[in-house]
Amino acid sequence: MKLSLFLIRQSSRGGLCLLLCSGLFSGCGRNDVKVYHVAKEELPSAPPNVMAAPDQSSMTQPAQPQLRWTLPSGWQEKTLGQMRVASFGVTNANGQTADVGVIPLPATGQEVQLVNMWREQMKLPAATNAETETVVIAEAQGKLFDIASAEPLIDGKFRARILVAMLTSGGTSWFFKMTGEDSFVASQKATFVQFLKSIRFAETATIPPGSAPAVQSDNGKSIWTVPPGWQEAPPAQFLFAKFVIANASGTAAVNISTLAGEGGGLLANANRWRGQLGLPPITQEDEFSKMVSSMDVAHGKAQIVDFTGTDSKSGKPARLIGVVVPQDGQTWFYKLMGDEPVVEQQKDAFMKFIQSANYANAR
Amino acid sequence: MRTLADRLIGIFISLRLTVILLAFAILLVFIGTLAQVDEGLYNAQARYFRQWLIFGLDLFGRKIPIILPGGYLIGTLMLANLIAAHIYRFQLSAKKIGIQLIHAGVIILLVGQLATDMLSHETQMRFTEGETKSYSESPRNYELIFSSDDGANSEQVVSIPEKLLARGGEMKIDNLPFTIRVKKFWKNSEPSFRAPMMQNGPPLTTNGIAVSFDFRPLAETKTMDDKNVPTALIEIIGVNGSLGDWMISGWASDEAMIRALQLNYSQQMGTQMAENITSHLTAPQFVSADGKLFKFTLRPTRIYHPFSLTLLQATHSVYPGTDIPKDFRSRVRLQNLQTGENREVEIYMNSPLRYAGLTFYQYQMDAGEATQQTGRAPSSVLQVVRNPGWITPYLGCILVAAGLVTQFMFHLIGFISKRKTK
Repeated sequence: MKLSLFLIRQSSRGGLCLLLCSGLFSGCGRNDVKVYHVAKEELPSAPPNVMAAPDQSSMTQPAQPQLRWTLPSGWQEKTLGQMRVASFGVTNANGQTADVGVIPLPATGQEVQLVNMWREQMKLPAATNAETETVVIAEAQGKLFDIASAEPLIDGKFRARILVAMLTSGGTSWFFKMTGEDSFVASQKATFVQFLKSIRFAETATIPPGSAPAVQSDNGKSIWTVPPGWQEAPPAQFLFAKFVIANASGTAAVNISTLAGEGGGLLANANRWRGQLGLPPITQEDEFSKMVSSMDVAHGKAQIVDFTGTDSKSGKPARLIGVVVPQDGQTWFYKLMGDEPVVEQQKDAFMKFIQSANYANAR
Repeated sequence: MRTLADRLIGIFISLRLTVILLAFAILLVFIGTLAQVDEGLYNAQARYFRQWLIFGLDLFGRKIPIILPGGYLIGTLMLANLIAAHIYRFQLSAKKIGIQLIHAGVIILLVGQLATDMLSHETQMRFTEGETKSYSESPRNYELIFSSDDGANSEQVVSIPEKLLARGGEMKIDNLPFTIRVKKFWKNSEPSFRAPMMQNGPPLTTNGIAVSFDFRPLAETKTMDDKNVPTALIEIIGVNGSLGDWMISGWASDEAMIRALQLNYSQQMGTQMAENITSHLTAPQFVSADGKLFKFTLRPTRIYHPFSLTLLQATHSVYPGTDIPKDFRSRVRLQNLQTGENREVEIYMNSPLRYAGLTFYQYQMDAGEATQQTGRAPSSVLQVVRNPGWITPYLGCILVAAGLVTQFMFHLIGFISKRKTK
């Protein structure tokens, strides 16, 4: 009996412990701040002969100029990785391969760190000064780092080499990287430098890299017939397209945007435009209807407003012609705004431009 | 005279306590089941079963002021009652072996359930074809993370659980050179794009994603089909004062929600415009402090694994001539740099991958003809379950069954031999 009592006492203590433990379990761990270190994404999955640049995929800016290049012979375009804007493979007759990638990252000025990261990948000790060569990238002066491993890193048989060209432009550092077997990459260096020379940045910002410019559909069909003297410009946030006009009389800009439904309605938008010219909003519908004219467009009528005032940004006199085109449940907004003489000169061309729209190509 | 300890022992070994606890358990299951109608499964579980005490009930739209024992209390008392009775009445005889086995089975069931509740977790791994993931994400919980380059080939991540943000106020975290002040926190929220042609109010802040997107609070969702996507307004305060206000939102980093949003926008404005708009929502936000750049985002809570999975192929086949699904199947490559493992595995219905204490089930899929037609990349979602107590229900049930059979056989043999002697 004494033994039983002892066991019961022990067990009730055990029960109490269990109760306390479970209380502690439920209270801890789930709501604590944690600090940990993780490999930069993509790196662990990269095959040994592909040295990925520091993956800060999330650091890729949403707005990048589009890249154009002349493809060297023997190079083949590859599917883009998560953060690459261009990717190529090079193979020679002996089956040796090299990988080329173009990666834009926010400019951080941490050049030595980056070089040391690549040196580390090549199993080389860190360097305090980065040795560079000068190369031409997109008609600008860039830097080229040439890092070769001392020991065989590829399949334990071949030494590896990494060529990285870097160009910082407009807050973005562009990295052009070739990796592969030492001797093969070395033999491709001249071709790589030639490729860098052929790079051109097409200013079509805010469009995700790789997609077609806004004035063209995916299959490259034009949406509008663009009048002479209009220069396509990178559209600002949420604009579908933008053109600038500059001549001896002054400057003006054409902004095009689109939204589902009525996009807030004509009056609200006209008042927004009036605000841009420092004009008071119109509250009376009757008064407003007198200011609106119309124009025939394919499948319907467009409504036009024409205001003159002072550009609230520049403080200079300005004129604004706004055209609203309803189209298949969507509304397109066209705005020509700028110096009065230019707007007057371009008015007809602007209207013809709107009438030339083939919205089927916008999809 | 009985001592207090004797009385306590008396209570703990009594069958009366067992009956009372069973009655409360039945009542709790009944109330918890009814509460799911209004509160949803997860809330009802948290409020009634994962509790020691329940203060007040909300049933049929009425508040009932009552205090009841919660699931944890009932379970723990049952366990204590069972163990106490087991030890007190323990007799090492062949006759009682069936009873002992049954008790042991029930104890294992109770302990196993507690362990499952405390230690198990379910996450999801979402990837498109060709993508590699070495982490899985919580389907419901979010974390605010600050990541910074730590100089090596890795980055330092400071993770602050959503529940800490929900408390509001200021937070000073050792590894961050600034203080975070939570000015607003919404458990559930909705983004709206600040289209230039709409009459927008002033932005919530003038930094980061708030320039392009507004957010508004939504009522907390309780259904299984919806999820709460939190948003918060935070101020980051450096040593020399405020560094600015930012909106952080689960909408900016939760792949499932971004996909849904993009689909919604593309129906209204076309794919290109939808991509353009969502890219402003998912644009990373940075703060620079103490000479370091920190990227921050509110994302689904991640659990990192020491291995990676690459989705090689997502297959969604249908019966010929119909839309009836025949097979969902993910072919993945499992790579573990620590063990050197590198193999392909197929995961499909009733054939999960069991690896490193985790079970990967085929959960969702966006592949097949319909996906191809819309131009989306095939993708797959695996449910990643960690349940160290998974064996206990099997073991418990085997023991109970063995105990019942033994007990029954003893009685049967005894009965038959009695009849023979007559």
